[in-house]
This record gives sequence, C-alpha cells and structure tokens, in this order.
Amino acid sequence: MFRKRFRQQIPELNTTSTADISFMLLIFFLVTSSMDTDKGLLRQMAPPPVENSQPQDVNKDLVMRVELDAHDQLTCDGKPATLQELSEAVVSMATVNRTEHIVAVQADRETTYEAYFRMQDAIVAAYHQLREQYSQKHYGRPYHRLTTDERSLVNEYYPQRISESFTSDLSPQTSQKGGER
Amino acid sequence: MRPMRSMFHDRRRHGVPSLNVASMPDLIFTVLFFFMIVTHMRSDEVKVRLEVPAGTEVKKLTGHPAIVNIYIGHSANSAEWAVQLNGEMVSPKDIPARISAVRSKLSPENAERLTVSFRADRHAPMGLVSDVKQALQQAYALKINYSATEISP
Repeated sequence: MFRKRFRQQIPELNTTSTADISFMLLIFFLVTSSMDTDKGLLRQMAPPPVENSQPQDVNKDLVMRVELDAHDQLTCDGKPATLQELSEAVVSMATVNRTEHIVAVQADRETTYEAYFRMQDAIVAAYHQLREQYSQKHYGRPYHRLTTDERSLVNEYYPQRISESFTSDLSPQTSQKGGER
Repeated sequence: MRPMRSMFHDRRRHGVPSLNVASMPDLIFTVLFFFMIVTHMRSDEVKVRLEVPAGTEVKKLTGHPAIVNIYIGHSANSAEWAVQLNGEMVSPKDIPARISAVRSKLSPENAERLTVSFRADRHAPMGLVSDVKQALQQAYALKINYSATEISP
C-alpha cells in the first residue's frame, strides 16, 4: 500500500509537445537562414589607373590576347578557341615565360557574364594546374596541403599575370590586373 | 493453453503501450543546433532575380564582417537589369560613395580586408558588369569574389 502511494507522488510530466516546439524552432531557422555558403572565384583587381599615366610598352610576344565577342565566342590570339584550349594555351605560355607573360583579357559589352566567368575560371584553372605540378615536384604534396608560407612561395613562382581592359561607353580604358595573392 | 477468447480479452484490456517520446525533443534540438551552426542568417533581402554561373576553381569565402554584397539580376517584375548593393538598389555610379560609406563603418583592419561578393546572373551583359567593376576600382574595393556554384571538372 505504501509502495503504491509513493509511486503516485511523482507524476510524469507530459513532454509530448516539446518535440513540436523544437520542430517549430527548427523550421524557423531553416526558413530564415541560407544554406548556400558563399563560394566563388577570388580575384584581385589592379588599383585605378593614375591620371596622365603613360601606357607601358610590353613585348608583343609575351602577350596573349584573350577576347570574348558579343556572341560569347572566345578567341585566343585571334583564333577561335574552346575553354580547354585556352587553359592549355595559358599553361604553355606560363611555362615558357613564367614571370613575364601577360594574359590580356577583353570582353565585349554584349558578352554574357557566364562566358566571362568561364573564361576566368579556365585561366585560373591553368595556373592552378601549374602550381599543383610545382608543389608536387618540390614539396611532394598537393597544393592544398601546403603551409601558407609554402603556398605563397608557389604563388610567387607562378604569378597570375592577367591584365584586363574594360570597354567603356565613353572611352576605352585599360587597367592592369595584378596576380592573386 | 488458454482459450482464444480469453487471450483477446486480455490484450484489449491492456491497450496499446504508449511510445516513449522523451528523447524526441533532444534529437530535434540536435538537428536544430546543427542547422544553426552550418547556416548563417540572411543579412539582406535580395530584390533581384539571378542565377550564378558555375565554375571548377571556386573556393569558400571567409571573413564575414568585411563583405559587401553586390547583386546583378533582373529587377522584380521586369526584364531590366538592376544592381543591388547590400540591401538597396543602386546605379553603378553611386557605388563608390556606397563603398566608402560601408568602409567608414568598419574597423581599420576590416576596411583593409574589404571583399566584394559579386553575385551576377549568368546572362548579365558584361557592359553592366564592367561598369560596376570600374566603379569598384574607383572605390579601391579591389578584392572581388565572383560567386559561383561549384562543379567538378
């Protein structure tokens, strides 16, 4: 008899609805937050051109002209090219003349952003390939496994030399785009 | 063996045992915390419609406080292209002023690290994109992150 009474003294708390409450919180967070982490291609632009600055002379042989026309057609030194060919061209260019080559990029005002982005992506992929090779050869590790110092050394060894010219409505303005850190 | 009838009778009297759901809230809380950690709050409402391009070399963008978002896409219900900086619609020539306003609110270290997260629609014309880029260059906001989804090569 005593035992029975003791048992009845602690009534169980009904926690069935706690699950519902926490579900509501969960759904609230799902709705108000965004899952898409910011992923992208990080590029460094050159500082704005100084007024009255003289354009620098560069050896024509060192420049690779990459252009996009109004119909998203990619041309590499005047010849139509695919993204794959562009990547290969950049690789061979940067292998031959590591620190002095220039990839001159120009896009028409009617080019779509996607074509431009794919081109940038292909160029960066080319440099990435070179850096990967270099890091495998000298450190025996893939690029992403290197320390920060080693990475900056590799980046210095294969600098990204991309120059970009904007086609403005008013006047064609050229700007130099520096390498990625 | 008991007769059939008595067996049924017995079971009916006991009823269905109630399921113990005491640990259910704990489970859901775990999921909730997981979501709270892996996601971040949407800071500003995107007023333009856009679809970012896809690339193979994309990396994760870090450094949350020093990020300025620029969106280029179709405005709400027209085919016109529009530019949005953080929460407001802007025109490319207003961008330098906006950037310096944002920069003045940041701490010196963050102002140096200022990165522009550039989200533009796949079909946006490069004319507009380069106008915006030139405006950013004028404002010395030189770090640009072209937002894209990752695809395997």
